[in-house]
Amino acid sequence: MSPMLHRGRGCEPHSTRKRGIPLRYRLTLSRVCFTVFALIVVPQLASAQDSRAAEIAAEQARKAAELKPYQPSGAEKWAVKLRREFIDLPSGFYPYFGSVYSGGGFTLGAGFREYYGDRTHWDVKGLYSLKSYKFIEFSTDSWGHAQGKMDLHGRIGWRDATQVSYYGLGMSTVTDDRSTFRLKQGYVGGNVDLRPVRYVVFGAAATYEDYSMGSGQGNVPSIEEIFTPETAPGLGVSPKYLHTTASGGIDSRAPGAGYARRGGLYEVRYHNYADQDKTYSFDRADGEIAQHIPILRENWVISLHGLVQTTLNDNDQVPYFLLPSLGSGSTLRAYPSWRFRDRHSLLMSGEFRWIPNRLAIDMALFYDAGKVVPRWDDLSLKGLKSDVGIGIRFHGPVATPLRIELAKGSEGMNLVFGGSAAW
Amino acid sequence: MTIKTLRFIVSTLLALTAAFALQTAGSRGATPKFYSDDPLQREPETQDASKVQEWEIDLFWDLAENLFGNPGAKTPLVKSRDVNSIDEVPNSSWFTNRIGTETLSITDAVRGPLTGDGPAPGAWSVIRPKEAGFAPGFTMNDAKGETWFVSFDANGFPEAATGAILAANKIFWALGYWQVENYLVHIQPKDLAIADTAVVKTPAGKRRKMRQSDLEDVLRRSNKSADGSYRAIAAKAVPGRTLGGFRYRSTRPDDPNDVIPHEDRRVLRALKVFGAWTNLVDMKAGNTLDALITDNGKSLVRHYLQDVGSTFGTGANAPREYDEGWEYLWEGGTAMKRLVTLGFAVPPWQTVNYTKQPAIGRFEGVEFDPTEWKPRVPTAAFVRARADDNFWAARRVMAFSDEMIRAIASAGQYHDEAAAKLLADVLIQRRDKIGKAYLNAINPVVNFALDGSDTLTFQNAAVEAHVANEPASGYTIRWFSFDNATGNTTPIGSPTATNDRRAKAPASLPSATGAIVKLQIVGTDPAHAPWAAPVDVYFRRGASGWALVGVERMPDSVNERKP
Repeated sequence: MSPMLHRGRGCEPHSTRKRGIPLRYRLTLSRVCFTVFALIVVPQLASAQDSRAAEIAAEQARKAAELKPYQPSGAEKWAVKLRREFIDLPSGFYPYFGSVYSGGGFTLGAGFREYYGDRTHWDVKGLYSLKSYKFIEFSTDSWGHAQGKMDLHGRIGWRDATQVSYYGLGMSTVTDDRSTFRLKQGYVGGNVDLRPVRYVVFGAAATYEDYSMGSGQGNVPSIEEIFTPETAPGLGVSPKYLHTTASGGIDSRAPGAGYARRGGLYEVRYHNYADQDKTYSFDRADGEIAQHIPILRENWVISLHGLVQTTLNDNDQVPYFLLPSLGSGSTLRAYPSWRFRDRHSLLMSGEFRWIPNRLAIDMALFYDAGKVVPRWDDLSLKGLKSDVGIGIRFHGPVATPLRIELAKGSEGMNLVFGGSAAW
Repeated sequence: MTIKTLRFIVSTLLALTAAFALQTAGSRGATPKFYSDDPLQREPETQDASKVQEWEIDLFWDLAENLFGNPGAKTPLVKSRDVNSIDEVPNSSWFTNRIGTETLSITDAVRGPLTGDGPAPGAWSVIRPKEAGFAPGFTMNDAKGETWFVSFDANGFPEAATGAILAANKIFWALGYWQVENYLVHIQPKDLAIADTAVVKTPAGKRRKMRQSDLEDVLRRSNKSADGSYRAIAAKAVPGRTLGGFRYRSTRPDDPNDVIPHEDRRVLRALKVFGAWTNLVDMKAGNTLDALITDNGKSLVRHYLQDVGSTFGTGANAPREYDEGWEYLWEGGTAMKRLVTLGFAVPPWQTVNYTKQPAIGRFEGVEFDPTEWKPRVPTAAFVRARADDNFWAARRVMAFSDEMIRAIASAGQYHDEAAAKLLADVLIQRRDKIGKAYLNAINPVVNFALDGSDTLTFQNAAVEAHVANEPASGYTIRWFSFDNATGNTTPIGSPTATNDRRAKAPASLPSATGAIVKLQIVGTDPAHAPWAAPVDVYFRRGASGWALVGVERMPDSVNERKP
């Protein structure tokens, strides 16, 4: 008899006992007898009661005989484990998904982090991609200094991108000219992010970068088979740089930079690549604007994005693999990674976004247009490559762990998988 | 065969024999519909619960299970099982009858659960920062060593969270829920000291000694008043040992008295209505609290609706999202509809107008539809609420007078009187819509009495609440004698009709002590089709006359459900 404080219109009350939960009893003599009594006799005593209170008391007595601590289900255990791994970021091993280098394809990886301060940990992680790209990094990150206004990061790592595409310089290259090169990069450095007041952001970084360039793998020719140092600046060299960066801007994106439906980003960045051999030193400036315009309580969002990357001194030599580029990712999304490279680039994108679900899903129709040029004066709105597409984004409150986009441009369709917001 | 084995076999056989004998004896008599102690005035809690253990209900799992697991979707939709035979909820470790059943003065309602004056003045010793929820806060001991949980308004949102807690605390106490005692305090940082034993849990999950910078971090996230003080809520530690929250489904396996599945408790199902009224969108296990208390020498688990501050139009840190109260966090069908229509399937919440009042946030009563209101996640109890549960809850909501609502809103202690007025106006609007929606959705006859002259009187809750008129064609009452052992009924006389909710019984009512009569009452009005479904009412004749012993508004099991 299961409990009710009434007996109504022919109700057949269902059991309160969970079915299928094993009783973890040791079958001792006393327990067997007690269990037999509890399971068979107590319900009968209940039905034999002459009061409602006695009936309920009997049911409670029956439950008292089989008390057990709560046992979470397998699904619950897994959910808790996932939450700890991906939200709490605890010390210990964790699965890691990321990008080794653009164009590397899907990756699998793992990491291990250990906290040594309130918001400070060291972290070692590695990735391996379908195209045999490899990545390993040891880092330490420390957040929330200076009353939450400053974050510090340091890292040392190495990556091996075995078949990075190179199509030549400029916008007139053709896909048949595709070649590949191998890029190995060791690096060590650190950076600081500052938010002195609300919306204002500054950043500074210094990294020693050691490049080792080689022949590309894959089923297309290696870069040196098609291109020369004239058409691929710096071909054959493997420079070492001290790369310093300074940035500043306004960032009002909300709910967060990793997933925004309102606010904007207005930022300039200055890069100095100091070649240790002095030959390939150069300076580059980036200007980026993003604005998210919500419509009807964020039912729709118009997101606009502009990015200019420019090599500051025409006399500087920029190696082919560090030239500004467009293609795939969140640039010209119908084109493959690294499709266009040159000394200056311009990118403009617009998205019409709608929000099927505030917690998890965004959709977007987008248009991208951009170009790369050898001279700043050529950076006009003429001769832009463009594409259109549709995307779905699986996001959380402040992050976009998966972005899938299908884009069509003059060279066909391209499917983009991203692990972050478009901008 | 060893002696031990022999003892085992003999003992088992004896137990089985005893069980069989009792079973045979027990089956000789049919179980009566009504017992001598019906209707119960208090839910029995007979067992010692001292072995219950503290647990932590994972927020992520609680959210996922309720959003995607559909834990309340089992059929049939049974009648709430914590109600007594007259369809009322007796007092228990879950619920105390107050408004709607007991006389509750405005003064009592405004005082709510408070039993004292708040933290003792003097040096307050912080013992740890607040670890749960988004609102900044900490735990402290007052000058007398009593423990308090302090939570602040978020920086930039003065009076929003604290005002909501103060007002909602009194509303849910009046409704009958166990509530924490919440007091408004104004804290000067100089009055705070960090206890030597204070520890913090770092983001890394480690414990360390609390520092001044930890306290400064809490205050930095809190709203600072012009005089340098911080307005906060000091919640008194509940008596007994805290055990973690309760789930809105199944039972606690280590509490012997917890034998009714929570999804079938009316007090939890009723949150569908109470939640709609107050916009209690954050209906999760994490906002509940069980505590092991001692009552008359026995250890029992008391169930608190601990955090009702997620009400009205603000959250802990900011105004509510526009869709809160209108949609679950995840609705697959709705998402797909918006996805394929490029967002042009515009839901109602996109165009609702709100009065600009930061302390109250996005809370309105014009577009509000109680039958469409939704919390962030659908609890099992929420989706299993039936029309009789909603009716029961709506009667309690309607029992709040305008004056009481305005007094409770003022208890939010907003410096701008317009804020309290807005809160009260919206609560009154929403209350009236709840009455109209739920008191008319079921046959609303209530308060039955059969007096010494065999005259039946009753009331119509919808009419009393001014959300309906008397049925156009009056009421019809059918009379039966009722066999308590078999459940058989025998008609008595002809049906009687009344327009004024007063009817003389047929002359042949049974006169023996213990006799039970059953009445079926319907209201006939084309405008109120649900009123045509009979309410079964049972009276038992006792030494001093007829006593109400049973009320049934709906079949015990129905298949239809409206989430």
